[in-house]
Amino acid sequence: MHDWHTCDGSGRLEGNGVAAGVTRRGVMVGMGMGLLAWATPAIAQLAIDPAKRDGNVLVVVFLRGGADGLSLVVPFGDETYYRLRPNLAIQRRLTHPLDGFYGLHPSLAPLLPLYESGRMAVVHACGSQDETRSHFEAMDTMERGAAKKEGPSSGWIARYLQASEQRSDSPLRAVAFGSTMPGSLIGATGSVALESLTDYRLDIDPRSLKLLERLYAPGKDEIAEAGRRTFDVLSAMDRLNVSGYRPESGAAYPESDLGKGLRQTAQLIKAGIGLEIACLDKGGWDTHVAQGTATAGWLPTLLDDMARSLSAFDTDLGGRMDGVTVVVMSEFGRRIAENSGLGTDHGHGGVMFVLGGGVRGGRVHARWEGLEKAVGPGDLPVTTDYRDVLADVARHRLRPAATREVFAGYSPGSLGLMG
Amino acid sequence: MNLSRREWIALAGTALAAGCAPLAARATAKAQPEDFETPGNSEEPGRRLYNRAGFGPRPGNLARYREQGHARTVEQLLRADEPEDAALMMQLMRLDVLRVDPAELHDLKEETILAQLQQAAILRAVYGRNPLLERMSEFWTDHLNIFGKKRPAAWHKGADETKVVRRHALGSFPEMVRESARSPAMLTFLDGTQNQKGQPNENYARELMELHTLGVDGGYTQDDVMEVARCFSGWTVEDRFLRPRGRFRFDPDRHDAGEKRVLGTRIPAGGGIEDGEKVIEIVCAHPATARHLARKLVRKFVGTESPKLESQVEKAYWESRGEIREMLGPILTSRELLEGPPILKRPFDLVVSALRALDATTDAGNALQDHLEAMGQPIYQWPMPDGYPVETDAWSGSMLPRWRFAFALGAGALRGTSFSDGLVPATIYQALMGDDRVPLDLSGQDAASMAGLCIASPGFQWR
Repeated sequence: MHDWHTCDGSGRLEGNGVAAGVTRRGVMVGMGMGLLAWATPAIAQLAIDPAKRDGNVLVVVFLRGGADGLSLVVPFGDETYYRLRPNLAIQRRLTHPLDGFYGLHPSLAPLLPLYESGRMAVVHACGSQDETRSHFEAMDTMERGAAKKEGPSSGWIARYLQASEQRSDSPLRAVAFGSTMPGSLIGATGSVALESLTDYRLDIDPRSLKLLERLYAPGKDEIAEAGRRTFDVLSAMDRLNVSGYRPESGAAYPESDLGKGLRQTAQLIKAGIGLEIACLDKGGWDTHVAQGTATAGWLPTLLDDMARSLSAFDTDLGGRMDGVTVVVMSEFGRRIAENSGLGTDHGHGGVMFVLGGGVRGGRVHARWEGLEKAVGPGDLPVTTDYRDVLADVARHRLRPAATREVFAGYSPGSLGLMG
Repeated sequence: MNLSRREWIALAGTALAAGCAPLAARATAKAQPEDFETPGNSEEPGRRLYNRAGFGPRPGNLARYREQGHARTVEQLLRADEPEDAALMMQLMRLDVLRVDPAELHDLKEETILAQLQQAAILRAVYGRNPLLERMSEFWTDHLNIFGKKRPAAWHKGADETKVVRRHALGSFPEMVRESARSPAMLTFLDGTQNQKGQPNENYARELMELHTLGVDGGYTQDDVMEVARCFSGWTVEDRFLRPRGRFRFDPDRHDAGEKRVLGTRIPAGGGIEDGEKVIEIVCAHPATARHLARKLVRKFVGTESPKLESQVEKAYWESRGEIREMLGPILTSRELLEGPPILKRPFDLVVSALRALDATTDAGNALQDHLEAMGQPIYQWPMPDGYPVETDAWSGSMLPRWRFAFALGAGALRGTSFSDGLVPATIYQALMGDDRVPLDLSGQDAASMAGLCIASPGFQWR
């Protein structure tokens, strides 16, 4: 059993105004006058210490519905692709070439600068061993960090969180944007699902709020500490001004769920309140019928939104992105051959993107066996286990934890994606 | 209502005379470390007993405790023969999951079934007249955990709760394991239905030994796991046409009939269903099981280890051949129970103890269940076979949802749940914090914010 390396991420998120603003004084000002009288030396310190927090953040974007990896990253060097997709194949000249074999879908152009500057890597022919080609089963398998149906029922992120929890953890250590908890967080008792950051609040009268804070001020036990951290976060959230947030460097997030989610993730990261993992979803990838041309239609619309959202996130975070890694994944890729409805059916191997800090990018990692060597009903074989990708990122970005425990008994190899 | 310190010592003296030594020590020893000084959190033994052996006191419980003393209260808790509240029974009768045979439930959605199961669990814990039965049902629900979202476990969990957990909660441990092994919910959750000759599935075999009986360091090997899996091959859920679907079935065609060897004992070939029965006999009669259960029970009630008490409990297991009541006796009358460190209330505990203390009425419906989920404990939805965690760290990340629940209940903003608006703030404080003297800061609060503050306070998070 090997452990993840410790990440030395301290200081990576240094010197931003919001983090420095999470002070007891800030809380008191936020709460109004009366509290000053209760301020004792015991509480005149931060519950969340910015100097101690890791500042390392993993963002997982799950494309639900089975994204067509062969359209996202086109293997223009493989003739079979053009033979089996007479109508849907994207011509080489329309793609943004990543090397002599693969090209990025035209609508993913906003990600090209990330790739070219070596901060985005692509992993192709990647996935799980799930053979059911069922959305539910395949998603469930990946979110549990398992090989296929067998294995633990809890999520891989939940097991990571449990294995690495510390007494001083932030109440917002793991956040899922959406109305429900993703499978990867099932079994994580402390994780939070938010439709909006504005949901994290306590609507009670100011006097009760002050009294409650006072009740939590003196204790030295874990719950009193956790309560004080929660007050810190509440007051930081109070000052976030979610609707009036102005992204930096002219970053323009689309008004989609993913765009909004990433914008709020950036806000949380800047607030320095101990966020470590954010889970976001983007649905709509089940393109059985009329999935679109190279430049217009269903898939290009999804891709455009995804690329602009991720690009805005990167621009907005700027230098802070050094401590942040984003993984984009989907439950499976789609059938190599197009179907009679100008769409594609459920397949097997797909594509993953890893972008942000610490990524050894500008490369497509893939063991490509050729599309003529299809598996099952005509699908791209999986030659890279998706857990090798997650583990590479996790080892670099997260706290030490036993990988065998997190990935259900699997000992992931290293793809050299990070470093 | 509260006793003064002097009355306390007097009471302790009586108890001592009645043969209940721990209380005497209690009067002089401080139960909670300095760190846990919280507003008005009483250390009265009756409160501690009801907090540990049940989900906290209801109005009237403590007065009765003082009247009859510790020993008799414990006897009564152990007997658990108080007739249940008629209104509770009526509420439970309305739930399909309890009323209808599992085979007939298939028209219901998983969501509906899980909601009804949770409703039953909450109602029983809040209104049940036998607090120890409820506390131990919680314990065994975790010990023999079923993840309700592993299909189709939810449809079978109602029957599992009745026939496995509640029927044996205070009875015979080996009987409970025997019933659990053939429970369709367990056969589903731990893949017994997949376990057949030539294609063994080890899931149940492993957890039976690691979690249900011997414990992780109980001395079994990987070979034992494989052999136990072979013994249970063919134990499955009826799914044949025109048969009572959803019942336990032993399928001889799927059973591995060969000879097996489990924990050093030879199980001869051709035993059929007896193989599994024999395994249960072997593991339940294993010293590691007594040790594992003793440790876990002491930890559950005392909040920490206690080798001395554990060995008493272990002995009780041996002498009674696994009678749960006999194991609980020494724990509930121990000094350790009264002196152990505070235990964090898990969300279910927080909700139930608040409702009991305030004598609230609840339909235990969606609104309340949503709060439980936000706090991290939607009942029957822990995905791992080990049950919801007991460690404080596992729960300290979600304080905000606890506070939201507290103030929603206080303000009467929790649909389907409310307490009498006749309660004055001082009564509310007394009921929740066990102290007559409302701290100065809190005087002047109205009933709603008093209830909210008390339930949200650090002191009320512990028991």
